[in-house]
Amino acid sequence: MRTLGKFGRYGGVYVPETLMPALEELEEAFATIVPGDAFKTRLASLLTDYAGRPTPLYHAKNLSDKWGAQVFLKREDLLHGGAHKTNNALGQALLSKMMGKERIIAETGAGQHGVACAMSGALLGLKTEVYMGEVDMERQKPNVYRMQLLGTTVHPVKTGSRTLKDAINEALRDWIANLENTHYLLGTVAGPHPFPSMVKHFQRIIGEEASAQIQEKTGRQPDYVVACVGGGSNAIGIFAEFIDKTSVQLVGVEPAGKGLDTDKHGAVLALGSFGCVHGMKSLVLQTEEGQIQEAHSISAGLDYPSVGPEHAFLKDTGRARYESATDEEALSAFHELCREEGIIPALESSHALFIGKKLAQGEAAGKSIVINLSGRGDKDLHEVMKHGK
Amino acid sequence: MESRDRYKARFQSLQEAKQGAFMPFTVLGWPDEETSFRIIKTMIDSGASALELGIAFSDPVADGPIIQAAAHKVIENGFTVKQALELVARVRKYDADVPMGLLVYYNHIMAMGVEKFFEKAGECGVDGVLVADLPAESSDEVLSAGTVNGISTIFIVSPLTREERLAKIVEHASGFIYLVSRLGVTGTDERNADRDSRLTALIASIKKATPLPVLAGFGISTPAHAEKMMASGADGVITGSKIVDLVAKADPAKMESELSSYLKQMVAALNLVKV
Ligand SMILES: Cc1ncc(COP(=O)(O)O)c(C=O)c1O
Repeated sequence: MRTLGKFGRYGGVYVPETLMPALEELEEAFATIVPGDAFKTRLASLLTDYAGRPTPLYHAKNLSDKWGAQVFLKREDLLHGGAHKTNNALGQALLSKMMGKERIIAETGAGQHGVACAMSGALLGLKTEVYMGEVDMERQKPNVYRMQLLGTTVHPVKTGSRTLKDAINEALRDWIANLENTHYLLGTVAGPHPFPSMVKHFQRIIGEEASAQIQEKTGRQPDYVVACVGGGSNAIGIFAEFIDKTSVQLVGVEPAGKGLDTDKHGAVLALGSFGCVHGMKSLVLQTEEGQIQEAHSISAGLDYPSVGPEHAFLKDTGRARYESATDEEALSAFHELCREEGIIPALESSHALFIGKKLAQGEAAGKSIVINLSGRGDKDLHEVMKHGK
Repeated sequence: MESRDRYKARFQSLQEAKQGAFMPFTVLGWPDEETSFRIIKTMIDSGASALELGIAFSDPVADGPIIQAAAHKVIENGFTVKQALELVARVRKYDADVPMGLLVYYNHIMAMGVEKFFEKAGECGVDGVLVADLPAESSDEVLSAGTVNGISTIFIVSPLTREERLAKIVEHASGFIYLVSRLGVTGTDERNADRDSRLTALIASIKKATPLPVLAGFGISTPAHAEKMMASGADGVITGSKIVDLVAKADPAKMESELSSYLKQMVAALNLVKV
């Protein structure tokens, strides 16, 4: 490989030898095809004409008045497919096409990444198969139907916790067996190098747009940028442009599930320990002996017992800080956005909204806060209804 | 060091007898501690040349459904990594000479600490460690701990491993080379004749790069597979999923005799004179 993709002690390449040829090929393609004009032109036109970029940066006046800070929402929920996942799926699908692959496979938790892959696969003529935990298929049924409508085969994953982590294992196993004609279109900034860097590359457009948009609206950069963290792709995507702008505070929000004092949460950055899973070193929820534990969150997209290595690094260096919101808190923010602004957010994004509100009502009073509204909530209606209005 | 000599001694005597090595695999603690010991004892008594023993991991990406199910069962039973190593020590007491390798995922090593893991493994009589998810690129993280404790570091070569990588792998490898003889994860799926026909060239290129014996694994479940691998130039074979599957399906009262008769067939196939 050209590099091992380390972020301090995190990241790297920790996979079976049988997968190394695929990662070498991918790293090479990422380094040579992606910076080329042919790729850049085609992706830019797809993002504009097909996916609907740039997405708006919306000044949420009702929330701003109510919360006491200037709240801006980066509207990734308006992107084709309904979440930021489309940025990465289109990028990698186009790359696999140009690498000559015939087939893409993916894992999905909330189903948003699966849908984004299904759309991209249909568009570019790639056979698409998605691995999804049985538990998640139940929680996010509409997205299962969506993928099927788009011509994708959805494989239920019945091993382990039957959620996102096990879907990643299955996708990796498929890739090991079929790497010659198949690209594994990983949906977040986790996994072995080059995925964390490559997915960041395709998601950084969120922050590039947001930075320019807020500059135009307010004449300056924001005081805070807030995003939810599952694997960490929407957060890295919006953070990337601001990392060097040191006056901007970066806040990631993890799922606290039923509470950090219970064993039902996904707060990996707060409570995880150094470990190795899914091809990378990162923080991990695990037993003392190193068995990976199940995460819990009301939102399937945040239900992951590890996190992208760059977030672990940003936490250690102090450049970003990480807070958490419980299931209940996320639900309350979900309803508040529905009622105040007429926007139904994804449950994932609702975690970021809750912490945005907390900041606005505390240390960030009167300041400007950009919250990444990573997706829309249509997929979550079933889950939300279960908890009563 | 002493333990590395067990591989050397065993492979040398097989070489002199012109016999292939048979290295059965099972998951430590599966389906329970006592039965696991009996399975391993049966392997030794049936003529296994060496043993490959897996530590159950919650997320075994290199393994197919059979070994995954076994690993999950072990974890569900609450059987720990510490107990797995104690079981290895018990096997070492039963047989002082059989070479024993551990198949382990890196997170277990990190959780214990690299130095401590290798030290403990050495004390338990382990001869080799294959870290399933540690490629040659990152292997310097464990090499010195292996050397200090006299434990061989086993590496995998796959049909898609290119020349430059092969050179890097053999530079760090000791004990033997684990040849993944078909693409995919562990399992008992059908073999692909076309791919098998290309193994001869692959094994020849490994042999050119290193004097270490080459053992073929992944999808080897019948005496015919073993003969095919020997004919392709391998020094022996590794069988895992088939054994776990056989034990899982066996009538508990006859498990040892059924396992033993299978193992003996494999050993017999490998005892055919090497050309
Ligand atoms: C709307 C939405 N936001 C956030 C996430 C979490 O992923 P990440 O942390 O990679 O952005 C998901 C994952 O499915 C999602 O669908």
